[in-house]
Amino acid sequence: MTLAQALFMGLLQGATELFPVSSLGHAVLIPSLLHWSFKQSDPSFVPFLVLLHLGTASALLFIYRNEWVQIIRGFFTAALRGRIETPPERLAMLLMVGTIPGATLGVYFEHQLKSLFASPKAAAGFLIVNGFLMLGAEVLRRRAERRAALAAKTREEQEQSFAVAEQISFRAAALVGACQALSLFPGISRSGITIGGGLLAGLRHQEAARLSFLLATPIIAGAGVIEVPLLVSAGIPVAEYLAAALLAACAAYLSARFLLRYFRSGRLDPYGWYCAAAGVGSLALLTLRP
Amino acid sequence: MKGNSLAIGLVVLAVVFFVVAALYYEGVLQILVTDTTAAHHPTHAVLFSVLAIASLIAANFARSKGKA
Repeated sequence: MTLAQALFMGLLQGATELFPVSSLGHAVLIPSLLHWSFKQSDPSFVPFLVLLHLGTASALLFIYRNEWVQIIRGFFTAALRGRIETPPERLAMLLMVGTIPGATLGVYFEHQLKSLFASPKAAAGFLIVNGFLMLGAEVLRRRAERRAALAAKTREEQEQSFAVAEQISFRAAALVGACQALSLFPGISRSGITIGGGLLAGLRHQEAARLSFLLATPIIAGAGVIEVPLLVSAGIPVAEYLAAALLAACAAYLSARFLLRYFRSGRLDPYGWYCAAAGVGSLALLTLRP
Repeated sequence: MKGNSLAIGLVVLAVVFFVVAALYYEGVLQILVTDTTAAHHPTHAVLFSVLAIASLIAANFARSKGKA
């Protein structure tokens, strides 16, 4: 991989990681469509992607730095006390419950999923599935809005009728965590699937995005701890790849700021249609021009 | 009373998770691992250690509920 390619991948990953369009799917598909010569099945490819993810995670840590201080403090306080008394303590425990399914499945199915990374067609197929999952989540949300007789209200008023992250049940947090586990498949967007899960749990769009971004940090950091030593041992130009990770962090910061503003009243539909169309287009290109 | 029984169950589960973590680390357990020839499986060991800690936290919550 050349420096320009590494930087492009950094920008692509950072921009697409938080948008519900599957960064991993794009990272597998685009080099293949551009006929870049580096091999995605190479043992260094997944650790490189993880390094880019760490760039994204650091952007999220920066955005939510004050909240993370409260969450970590709340986690230890509630764990030792054996009782939840404040919203940050509840959020800390919800994040723990939400992280476990993804981490468990990630450890156990890491090898099988790595073999899937080598298949751009599989990524394109999962991208289509991802699109329809998000569209399905929005269909269910609209049904819930109709049931609550919110149709006549403005989008902002409709959103206010739903919950904030700290209010959901532990069962709902486990559901969102289980959704996160699906994102181990390339083409299934972690943020898309967790925002969709958050909507099913009754969260506002903006709160579903916030929960998704908070859930991202521990699982990405965990994956980084496992994969980055492999990256160093693979004899890769670390300085160039760190520059790519820095670019990913900048792009992720801007993406997160945009999305948190967008989801005040925006929905998942445009991203769902984009994923379905991009998946179909990629599949057609890969089939016609192998 | 029910909370206390649940707490004891969760502590037992935590002990089981710690044992499984140790067995993975020592390479005794080779269930669903990528490299069956590796001497240690630290990733699996870390996962089960985390699960054990989560079980202990849940046990502490259940114990507090039992008291109330």
